[in-house]
Amino acid sequence: MTELSRRNFIKSSTAFAGFAVVVSNTPALLAAEQSSHSGIGTCMRFGEDGLPVLCVPTPDMGQGMMTTAAQIIAEELDLDLSAVSVEFLPFVGVINDDGIAQDGELVQGAGGSHSTMDLWPALRKTSAYVRALFIEAASQKWGVPATRLSTAGGFVIDQKANEKISFGELAELAQTVTVDKKAAQPKSISSFRVVGKDAKNVAARDIVTGKPVFASDVSVPGMLHAAIRRCPHLNGTIVSYDSTKIEMMPGVRAVVKMDQFLEDDQTFRVIADGVAVVADTYWQARQAADALEIKWNGDISKDDSTDLILKKCNALLKDGEFKQVQKRGDIETAFKAASQTIDVTYTHPSWAHACIEPHNCIADVKTDSAEIWVGHQTMAAPANIAKKFAGIDAAKVTGHFYRMGTGFGRKYVQDFVAEAVVLSKRMKAPVKVTWSREDEMEQDYPNHMGAYRVRAAIDSKGDLSGWHIKTALDTGRDWVARDFPAHTLENTLGEFAKVPNHISHGAWRGPSHNSGAWVVQSALNEAAHAAGRDPLEFLVALYNKTGTVKAPNWPNMDIDFRRHAALLEKVATEAGYGKKMPTGWGQGIAVHYTFVSACAHVVDLEMIGDNNYRVHKVTSAIDCGLAVNPLGVRAQVESGIMDGLCTAKYGNFVFENGVPTTNNFDSYLKMRIDEAPAVVDIHIMDFGDTDPRGTGEISLPPLIPALTNAIFAASGKRVRKLPISENL
Amino acid sequence: MIKLSINGTERSFEGDEEMPLLWHLREEAGLTGTKFGCGIGQCGACTVHVDGEAIRSCSVPMASLNGAAITTIEGLADGDNLHPVQEAWIEEDVPQCGYCQAGQIMATVAFLKDTPNPTDEDINNGITNICRCGTYYRIRKAIKRAAENMQTA
Repeated sequence: MTELSRRNFIKSSTAFAGFAVVVSNTPALLAAEQSSHSGIGTCMRFGEDGLPVLCVPTPDMGQGMMTTAAQIIAEELDLDLSAVSVEFLPFVGVINDDGIAQDGELVQGAGGSHSTMDLWPALRKTSAYVRALFIEAASQKWGVPATRLSTAGGFVIDQKANEKISFGELAELAQTVTVDKKAAQPKSISSFRVVGKDAKNVAARDIVTGKPVFASDVSVPGMLHAAIRRCPHLNGTIVSYDSTKIEMMPGVRAVVKMDQFLEDDQTFRVIADGVAVVADTYWQARQAADALEIKWNGDISKDDSTDLILKKCNALLKDGEFKQVQKRGDIETAFKAASQTIDVTYTHPSWAHACIEPHNCIADVKTDSAEIWVGHQTMAAPANIAKKFAGIDAAKVTGHFYRMGTGFGRKYVQDFVAEAVVLSKRMKAPVKVTWSREDEMEQDYPNHMGAYRVRAAIDSKGDLSGWHIKTALDTGRDWVARDFPAHTLENTLGEFAKVPNHISHGAWRGPSHNSGAWVVQSALNEAAHAAGRDPLEFLVALYNKTGTVKAPNWPNMDIDFRRHAALLEKVATEAGYGKKMPTGWGQGIAVHYTFVSACAHVVDLEMIGDNNYRVHKVTSAIDCGLAVNPLGVRAQVESGIMDGLCTAKYGNFVFENGVPTTNNFDSYLKMRIDEAPAVVDIHIMDFGDTDPRGTGEISLPPLIPALTNAIFAASGKRVRKLPISENL
Repeated sequence: MIKLSINGTERSFEGDEEMPLLWHLREEAGLTGTKFGCGIGQCGACTVHVDGEAIRSCSVPMASLNGAAITTIEGLADGDNLHPVQEAWIEEDVPQCGYCQAGQIMATVAFLKDTPNPTDEDINNGITNICRCGTYYRIRKAIKRAAENMQTA
């Protein structure tokens, strides 16, 4: 991280002289007084009614962080979640020496299933410190020692004197007292009342009554609406357009050329070449934009077709050049000594994010400041985007943050904010950019596609003794070639190659893991069958033998593969894995770790004819460390199950000559309730962790191989190409 | 001129009659609880009631609504008293991101009028809205809970 010698805090929307402190996870404390957040510490403020408002630092896109963070705050402050309201904290990070806004001690982004892990130490300490401030304030007010005071239900209590005083009454005094920050320690786990208990979504009532909780619901005075026609060809450009007909259409204020903006060596699209129509209403802007005649030049990407790219990937696997990214022992010796081998190839296409809320953003860019209303996965991003695209000092950007109608990694990107910034600057007025569904899909940053060849050796004892994986993808993601079991088994070789193309890829729920788990767990299942062993017993033995490895991105966390074995045994027991089933039924099992958490599933399904199936039940076990909100963890596991079932069966985001052609829900199909299993049985494992791990992306990756392994068990058909609906 | 009522309030409309009801609700009536999801009637995020029936408001032009009575998610509760379907949604902790849930709830309210005691198969056939969070397991439980609560109410 950049050394922060100049700590300018971003002004928040509720900016007035305030007091905020983040108690750092490290000995160095952040300078508190400079922040403009008006709360008591960054974790709470008082509403106009005098009641506590908990301030959640992290975005919520359905992964439940608003509730989880509120639980952490409520725990340390001894507040009852049902007696408080909850809101998002404005951005309270810092501006570094290069003028870039970045997170301070509180990480204000959501990605990589990190949020709870990131927040856990800092938010607990901050909240514990605020509690200590209230106690100190009461101590001074009553003239009694702080040590005899306690807190409960939003009051400081002096049991001896039989007195209590509300936090609200102490608010002013609490801002003047000081306490030893080191002495304000978070609670011990054994005394938790809120953390570790089921908490329902704190926004549920607003959601079910249709309150405006999304950025798309926001209007600001004087706001204009923009609809943008973007080049449908990957990195293509405009040849010409004729706006004369649409300039006279009702409500149209301006037709604005949007200039292509690429980064990462002129390959990654940030702004697509296009034309924006700015009008009084969205409907007017949309109608005019649709009527605009544009001639595109898509020559650059004419070879970017899904079929062609996948053909190239498969051709590479046969005789292409690969880069070694993992090598252990001597793979050929393992194959020479093998009593059984498998040599199998798996292929999958791209997947789109299909965020249910199409991207949108309001920007109001003034001469030397800007305001932005958005749902974004990174709360530092809007300030940096306004700086980059309108030259506004990042410290002069006010961000207003809202729930996101899903994100999945897509709302991590700059484009929809950048467009609003560019257009507001041009129009000298607030501009709301609203994407259509077709925009959202055509301009997606999709998951990778590619082909994988796995050769596995099985020794005379029936154990996996060699693993040779070659991955040929349309991205540079070599993870699956480097990781389990390539990085743990004695004799392995991992090789990687990339097929050039013009697709701008993004993070898609469980990047690399999402399809990598399918490849690895399918191949291990095939290896078990080749060895004549039951897949469960084969996997349990393999994981128990593997032991523990350091997690690459989390220095203090290990991946203990014996936990994988325990997860497998748990789901097997709960699902009655191996039980006798009717003809045409089958069970599939798989496990996988994503980041530092792991999940195992058993899928029970029934074949419907030869080419279709119905999933009746999914049994799951997750290791997510300490589960702050078990109800929320189960929601995330359910979500990953449904997304996995849906993506495996239907996910096929198709490019034809550089144009994404599956651009709405009639062509890019999503599963509906009729295909969702009516029974989902989720078990949260307790391995004694005292810290949380991640949850949001963990259950999807192992679901896909559990499903395809179940199809094999039920039908004898091995799914080596996705999506299943087109390849069974 | 189109005259219609929305959540019991009489309104008149003189704009582009080809405009779908969705944009009238969101941009002119200030009722943003009804969501834009796909614009082609596929996802159901925009589901509202027209004369008691669930319809996808992104695909219904204003021209067809003269005399219609519209109910949106904002008009479902009776003051602070939530509709049993809304209650069930909270009790089963259905919403994750929440974006599609207004449409899911409106679809369910209409569905339960015709099918007050639904089987799994009835739900499979009767509810077709997309949820990208995949809350289907809890939606199914909430539908059944709402049905039960409405029968004993």
